[in-house]
Amino acid sequence: MNLHVALVNIEESKSSLEKAKKFIASKKNGAESIFVGKVRNENDKKEVIAVTYDTHDEAVIKSFQSICNIAKDKFGKNAKIFLEHAKGYTLVGEISILIAVGTSHRDEAFKICRYILEEVKSQSPIWKKEHYTDGKEEWLPGHSLRPKKEIK
Amino acid sequence: MEIELKLYGSSKILSDKDALKIELPNNSKIEKLRYILSKIISEKYSKSNLENLPKTAAFFSEKNEVVNDNYKLKDKETISIIPPIGGG
Repeated sequence: MNLHVALVNIEESKSSLEKAKKFIASKKNGAESIFVGKVRNENDKKEVIAVTYDTHDEAVIKSFQSICNIAKDKFGKNAKIFLEHAKGYTLVGEISILIAVGTSHRDEAFKICRYILEEVKSQSPIWKKEHYTDGKEEWLPGHSLRPKKEIK
Repeated sequence: MEIELKLYGSSKILSDKDALKIELPNNSKIEKLRYILSKIISEKYSKSNLENLPKTAAFFSEKNEVVNDNYKLKDKETISIIPPIGGG
């Protein structure tokens, strides 16, 4: 099995770097690239305490599978890929997205990791609500999936 | 006819529940749904920063595929509203 994709419900579990490393481990790997995205404590000059990630679960998993398979086709068919994203109330410092890629050579490992990150941000139906130290909260603006030709 | 609109992201401001029942004339298309949503937002949620939502949202069918403005809605159909996304 060369592909693992999942949403991790933060109230039940956490993404694990060790699990990701174990999944992609192979004697065939000459390179392993790992990206860890975390919730940071500041955005737009506001102090953040947590982010709630809302997800359209079925569509997210479908998009993750599609993105990873396209990445393999484009950059390295034998790549081992691990991709998880948080779902639910996620505190500052916790992992929001974890991508691990094992490949024969460094170039494809870097490229696949970067490609997956950017495509998840632009394709996967995931939303962020930030929670601030003053008790306020806000859904963040994002990227519209509505066909561009329809937006007047 | 009536459809069920499953709410995600900022659209969750529109209800305490996960979905909203919306009455529409028979044979309505997504375009009509956008219009009805605009009315609901301007009448009840004018201070919620949702005024652009009917224009910027996409809609998923029950097959989780984006449907365009000409998609004809069916009675009792479940549609998901997909506000602009931003994970990672």
